[in-house]
Amino acid sequence: MHRFDDNIKKALRDILGADNVTFSGDELLCYSYDATGKEFLPAGAAFPATALEVSEVIKLANRFNFPVIPRGAGSGFTGGSTPVRGGLVLSTERMDKILSIDSENFIATVEPGVVNGDLQHEVIAKGLFYPPDPSSLKFCTIGGNIAECAGGPRALKYGVTKDYVLGLEVVLPTGEIIETGTATMKGVVGYDLTKLMVGSEGTLGIVTKTTLKLIALPEATRSLLAVFNSLKECADSVNKILLSGALPSTLELIDGVSIKAVRTYSDTALPEAGGLLLIEVDGDSESTGREAALIEKVCRAGGAVEVRSASDKRGQRELWGARRAISPSLKNLKPDKLNEDVVVPRSNISALIEGVGVIAEELGVVIASFGHAGDGNIHVNIMIDRTDPDEEARGLKAVEEVFALTLKLGGTISGEHGVGTAKVPYIRMELTEEVIALMKNIKKLFDPNGILNPGKIFN
Amino acid sequence: MKNLKEYIPDLDRCVRCGSCRGGCPTLGAIRREWGSARGRLALIRAHIMGNTVDTAVFKKHIKDCTLCGVCEVACPNDIKVTDIILAARAELVDKEGLPLGASLVMKGILDAPKLGPLALKAASKFQKLLGSKEGKSVLDRFKMPYMPMGGPERSMPKLASTFFLETKEARAYKKPPSEMPGGIADGPVVAFFAGCAVNYLMPDLGLKTLELLAKHGARIVVPQAQACCGMPPLSMGDMNTAKSLALKNLEAFEGLNCDYITTPCATCTYGIKETFYNTLSGEGPEVKARIDRFAEKVRDITDLMVNVLKIESGQVTSEAGIEKRSVTYHDPCHLARGLGIRDEPREIIERSGVEFREMKNPCRCCGLGGGVGYSNYELSSAIAREKAERVSATGADILATACPGCMIQIKDSLDTNNVDVEVKHVIELL
Repeated sequence: MHRFDDNIKKALRDILGADNVTFSGDELLCYSYDATGKEFLPAGAAFPATALEVSEVIKLANRFNFPVIPRGAGSGFTGGSTPVRGGLVLSTERMDKILSIDSENFIATVEPGVVNGDLQHEVIAKGLFYPPDPSSLKFCTIGGNIAECAGGPRALKYGVTKDYVLGLEVVLPTGEIIETGTATMKGVVGYDLTKLMVGSEGTLGIVTKTTLKLIALPEATRSLLAVFNSLKECADSVNKILLSGALPSTLELIDGVSIKAVRTYSDTALPEAGGLLLIEVDGDSESTGREAALIEKVCRAGGAVEVRSASDKRGQRELWGARRAISPSLKNLKPDKLNEDVVVPRSNISALIEGVGVIAEELGVVIASFGHAGDGNIHVNIMIDRTDPDEEARGLKAVEEVFALTLKLGGTISGEHGVGTAKVPYIRMELTEEVIALMKNIKKLFDPNGILNPGKIFN
Repeated sequence: MKNLKEYIPDLDRCVRCGSCRGGCPTLGAIRREWGSARGRLALIRAHIMGNTVDTAVFKKHIKDCTLCGVCEVACPNDIKVTDIILAARAELVDKEGLPLGASLVMKGILDAPKLGPLALKAASKFQKLLGSKEGKSVLDRFKMPYMPMGGPERSMPKLASTFFLETKEARAYKKPPSEMPGGIADGPVVAFFAGCAVNYLMPDLGLKTLELLAKHGARIVVPQAQACCGMPPLSMGDMNTAKSLALKNLEAFEGLNCDYITTPCATCTYGIKETFYNTLSGEGPEVKARIDRFAEKVRDITDLMVNVLKIESGQVTSEAGIEKRSVTYHDPCHLARGLGIRDEPREIIERSGVEFREMKNPCRCCGLGGGVGYSNYELSSAIAREKAERVSATGADILATACPGCMIQIKDSLDTNNVDVEVKHVIELL
C-alpha cells in the first residue's frame, strides 16, 4: 500500500497525535531507505511512544490491512527495515529511554530506540558491561540489534545479542502485548519465545521493552597488532591462538587487499603485509599481560614478522585505526561493494580465505576480506562498479560462489546482518524446504494477515 | 563555494550507513530521520532531482541543522555535509530571498558600516527607555524583542551603551604600532578582531582581551574598519552579504603589518580563518592569495595565549579565591571540530588555578549555531537543555567556554533550567 486514505490517516492521528505521524512525501523519503541504499517509499511513518500505541497501530493495520515495518536507526545492511511493499514505517525513535540499570542483579531494562553505544556508556559508568558491539554501535539501536541478533568483534569471547536478552515486551502482529522470558539468568518455563524473537527481523513482533543481561566490566584491556607476510600464515594463526588457551575478547583479520587500500588511501600508518591480526584481550592487568605475551609468542611462531602492543587508550586507538580505515579506503577501489558476512567453523577460516582468493581470481573481481576471524565471521567485500553491468554480474556470481564455499565448509551465509531482502534469493542454499515451510508456518501463526514486515526473509 | 548541483557526486558518496546519526544534536532533539545528516542529504538529493513535493517542508529541515560538523567527523566517506547544507541554503536564498527579519539584520546592521552601529545605538538607547538598567554582568538577563536568536523568550545580554570599537581603549589602538609614538619596541604585533558579539554585546570581554594581550607582551592594533566575520549571513545562505563582509575585512587588516590576527570568538576565528576562501572562491587567484596571507595569521585567543605568548603559571594572576572554585569547559564547535583546538583552553584553565571538572561530551553543540538559534528557538533550546544538564551534573561553579555565542546560549539555558552556574570566557579566568 503506497498511499493511505483519509480514514487511516485520521485513525493514526487519533492514536498517536498529529505530530507523531507523517504522510508528507518529503519526510517519508527519509524513511524509505536503510544502509543498503535502496529506496521504497512508505505511505506513512509513525512515531509511537508506548507499547499501547504500538498495539493500537497494529490493530488498525489488521483492520485496514496495511503493512507495518518496524525501524530502529535504519542502519541495517540487508534491507530489513525498508518498506518494500509500502505501508507504515513504525519508528522506535521516540522509545529511547534506559528505564533502569540494576547494579545488584546485573540487568538493564531499556526501550528499543536506545542507541547501543549510549547504553554501553551508561552501564560502564556503573562498572558494568554490555558486550554486544556491532561496528555501528554509535548509532544503531537495541531494538534493531534484537531484530537482527547483531554481533560484533567481541562475539568471540562474549557472544552476540541473543546471549544478553533475558526478556522482552513484544507487541504481536495481531496487536496483543505479551511478555517473554524472565528477569533472571535462568528460566525454562515453556518454549523460549525470547530467542525466537531475537533475530526474527521484525517479522514476528515489535519489541517495545527488553531486559538485558549485563556482566562485570573487565578492568584492563590490551591490544596487539600482528603483521604477517603471508595471508595463509595469518589465517592459520587465528586458530593457533585460540588453541593455545588464550581467549581474546576480539580477534580481527585484515587481508592484503584491505591493507593495500588503507595504505594507499588513508593516513593510517600500516606496514606492508599479506595479512594482519588485530587482537584485544581483557581481564585484569596481570592476566591481560600474560595473555598478550602468549598470543605474541604464538603469532611469532606462526610467521608474524612484527607484533605491536598497546595497553594505554591512545595506543590502542592507534592500532584499531587501521580497522576503522578499511571501509572508507575500499571505496576508492570501486564505488560499490557487495558486503557479505559469512561464518565458518574457525578451523576452516584459512580454507575460506584461500577459497575466496581463488574465486576473486577466477572471476576477475576485487575481493577484500576482513573481520571477526576469531569467531569465524569474515566480511567478504566484493568490490564492483555497478555502472559496469559485466562487472556487476561477475560480482553477483562471486557472491553465490562465496556462499557455496561457506556452506561446503560447514558455515552459514549470514552471521549478523540477517536475511532481510538482500539474502532472500540465497536462503534455499542453506535451509531445506521442510525448514522453510516450518518457519513460514510459524510466521503465519503469529501474523495471520501478513501485516508485519512483509517481503523479508522469505518471498 | 560550489553551487548545489555540483555536489551531486558528493551526495552520491552517501551510502546511507547512518553513521551521521551518532551524536547529531538536532537528531537527538527532533528524534526523526530528517533531523540527521543522512535525512537532510536524502532530501537535498531529491530536491536537486526535482523530487521534493513540498518546499516548505524541505526548507524547514534544511534550516534545522546547527552545522556543528559532528556528522562530518563520523562520515566514513568524508562527505562535507555542512558545505552541502550551506549550498542548499544559498540556493534557497537565491531563489526566495532571506526572511524579512534576517534580511534587515544582515544587510541593515551587520553589513552596514555606518548605519548598522547607528541602528544598534538607537536600540541601545531604546532598551534604556524601556526601563532596563545597566547590568553588572555582560550576560545580564534581558528580554529583547525584535532581536535575532529567538526573540522575546531568549535571555540575551543587553546592547552595550558604548560599543567595543568606540571605547577609548580600543580607539587608542586604532593605528598599527609602527605608526604610534613610543610603546613597546618589540613583541609580536597582534591585530584584534572584535566580532559582533564582543563589539555590540560584550565589550568588556574585548577590553579584557586587550589587557591580557598587552600584559603578555603583544603590540596591539584594533582596526576600526573591521566588519562582521560573515558567519551569520553565510550560515543562513546569504552569500552576497558574506562575500561583501569578507572583502571589507581583508581590506581592514591588510597593510597593518601585523604578525597575528586574534579574537576571543570561536565562530569568528573559524569564520575569518577557514570560510573566507569558501565565500570568495571564484574571485580569482589574486583574491585567493590575499585570503591565504590573511588566514595564516589568524589565531584564536586561546591558541595565541598558550602557543605564541606562552603564558606561564607564574605570570598568571587569577582572581582571588579562584582556587576554591571549580570550572567545567564547553568546546565550541568552531574551535574543537572546526580548528582542532581542544587542549589550549584547558591549559588556560589549568594555569588559572581553578579546579577543573570535565563534563560529559563537552564537544556537543550548544544548539545556537547554523542559524538555528535564530530560526528555531524551540529546537535550539532543546539542544541547550542537555548542555545545561551536563554542566549541572559536574557540580562546577563556573561554565567556561571560548565563544560569546556559546556563552549567550548556555547562559540562557542555565537560566531557563534553573541551574545556578556562572558563565565565563576562559580568558576571563586569567
